[in-house]
Amino acid sequence: MSGLANVQFWAFVGVVAGIYTIFALGLQLQFGFTGLLNFGHVAFMAIGAYTMAILVVKVEWPLWLSALVAIAVSMLFGLIIGLPTVRLRADYLAITTIAFGEIIRFIAVNQQTLTGGPQGTINLTGAGRASSYNREWLDFQAWAQDQLEVILGDHATRDVTMLVLVWIVAIVLIILLQFMVHSPWGRVLRSVREDEDATSALGKNVFSYKLQSLAVGAAIGAIAGLFFAFQFSFFSPQDFDPLTTFFAYVIVLLGGTAKNWGVPVGALIFAFIFAGTRFLDFWPLSEITSADRAFLRLIVVGLILIGLMAFRPQGIFGKKEEMVLE
Amino acid sequence: MSAPERNGTILELSDVVKHFGGIAAVAGAELDVRRGSITALIGPNGAGKTTLFNIVSGFYKPERGVISFRGERIDRKPPHAIAKRGLVRTFQITKALTKMSVLENMMLAAPDQPGEQLWRLVVTPRSARAREREVHQKAHEVLKLVRLDRLADDYAGTLSGGQRKLLEFGRALMRDPTMIMLDEPMAGVNPSLGLELLDHMKRLQDERGTTFLLIEHDMEVVMNVSERVIVMNEGRVISAGPPDEVRNDQAVIDAYLGTGRGSGESTRPTEETPPGEGETA
Repeated sequence: MSGLANVQFWAFVGVVAGIYTIFALGLQLQFGFTGLLNFGHVAFMAIGAYTMAILVVKVEWPLWLSALVAIAVSMLFGLIIGLPTVRLRADYLAITTIAFGEIIRFIAVNQQTLTGGPQGTINLTGAGRASSYNREWLDFQAWAQDQLEVILGDHATRDVTMLVLVWIVAIVLIILLQFMVHSPWGRVLRSVREDEDATSALGKNVFSYKLQSLAVGAAIGAIAGLFFAFQFSFFSPQDFDPLTTFFAYVIVLLGGTAKNWGVPVGALIFAFIFAGTRFLDFWPLSEITSADRAFLRLIVVGLILIGLMAFRPQGIFGKKEEMVLE
Repeated sequence: MSAPERNGTILELSDVVKHFGGIAAVAGAELDVRRGSITALIGPNGAGKTTLFNIVSGFYKPERGVISFRGERIDRKPPHAIAKRGLVRTFQITKALTKMSVLENMMLAAPDQPGEQLWRLVVTPRSARAREREVHQKAHEVLKLVRLDRLADDYAGTLSGGQRKLLEFGRALMRDPTMIMLDEPMAGVNPSLGLELLDHMKRLQDERGTTFLLIEHDMEVVMNVSERVIVMNEGRVISAGPPDEVRNDQAVIDAYLGTGRGSGESTRPTEETPPGEGETA
């Protein structure tokens, strides 16, 4: 049980929770506030991460520029997927977005010269020549670590520095999104979620607002992809399987639909469950090999989701009254 | 109906056709609504009244026909564009934004809020905030008018059926429309409040020249409030004119009572309130 007291380990869990927070915030805007059933959200994360890595390694652009372009490209894809599909009924949108997510992943697998193929970004410049995209980020992180040492002393490790950076971005995004959804713009999004016909009968262009929601959510998904890439130094297509989108839904539902501050709470719970299953090493679970025990996390996540739906369907931050309104 | 003088007409439909499957819901409807009038659209169930509303407000695309509003063709325009031109409609089956407050329902409806565009929210946040204050003020006034001011902070989803009708009427008023199309505005609204709403419609008509077109089953309301009645049956307009004229029109009587039963039984259309829709005042 030594891992339980390990600061580094929990810092890592916190970083993952932070990345998932950012990722799920994009979905919260699209699904929670606008009612768009986007089941391909992971694609925006993938597009953000891959675009940045490819631009840095192959085009040799500076990291910050590549990152900004990556966000813009992700938004563009949000518009491209939205244009033909957003007019569809909610269930059709769900199906087409799943397909979109998988198409992006299969492109990443098969377009080896562009993406490095199944081995991931380490093969970006061809097999046998390990390539990295995050040198500039590591320099920045080292600089940030130096600043943190002034406050935290020896505790300011690489992981703790990342923890601080990810959560600064996450919290800034939450505050920004809170402002946005409570603005007149956000009011239109919420009204689209409630009733599209009523919204358009009141002079609002529903189609345009759905596209905007999709694009802004895509940008936020791309930011999560950037941090994912920075944290793990390299990544491959399998990091962006449909399960990742499902996890974001778990986080949104756990925290409460249409509650921005529910997202970090949901993400923290999710990340702790996910990492925490490794501590289930007591009998009788110790009879199972540790590799097999890793699958327990999915069972636990599933059980929590079932429990949530049964006992607190509105999520942690949600309001019960809202669940019964029709 | 023959075409009336142009300047007096605010809404004009000619030869509008819409099918659902093999059924012609609207089969070449011709009608015009005079500027500043209160006009009632009546007819038996299935006559095509609500379909016609959906076509005029842009929710259905007609297969044929021309619709012009204030001299401009609107038959190919989307609903939001039609609403922006000053033609606002309400729904027979109310569409409250249930998980938003009653006040938010009102404020959403307001036109010309620059804060509804992201870039203006960033570039000109002050104009958005200033407009928001005006809208807030106006929303409270309208809520008072429809007697929902005490429920301003409640979820719209907690309102009763009648209150939702009032909410929809209020939302339409928030847009300061040139013309309002009301689909059974009185259904489920308590009679005394219904009368107040009628008074208010008349006041808006007097003061601002607002035009009203309403689908209504309550013949007392229809005969009292409207200067003109348009009668539809089987997707066509079968009669139009002042209430007294229309109520004695044989075609109208036949439509309501059925031609098979002979015409001698009744000389005026009875209240047409089939089961399940009988909440007329």
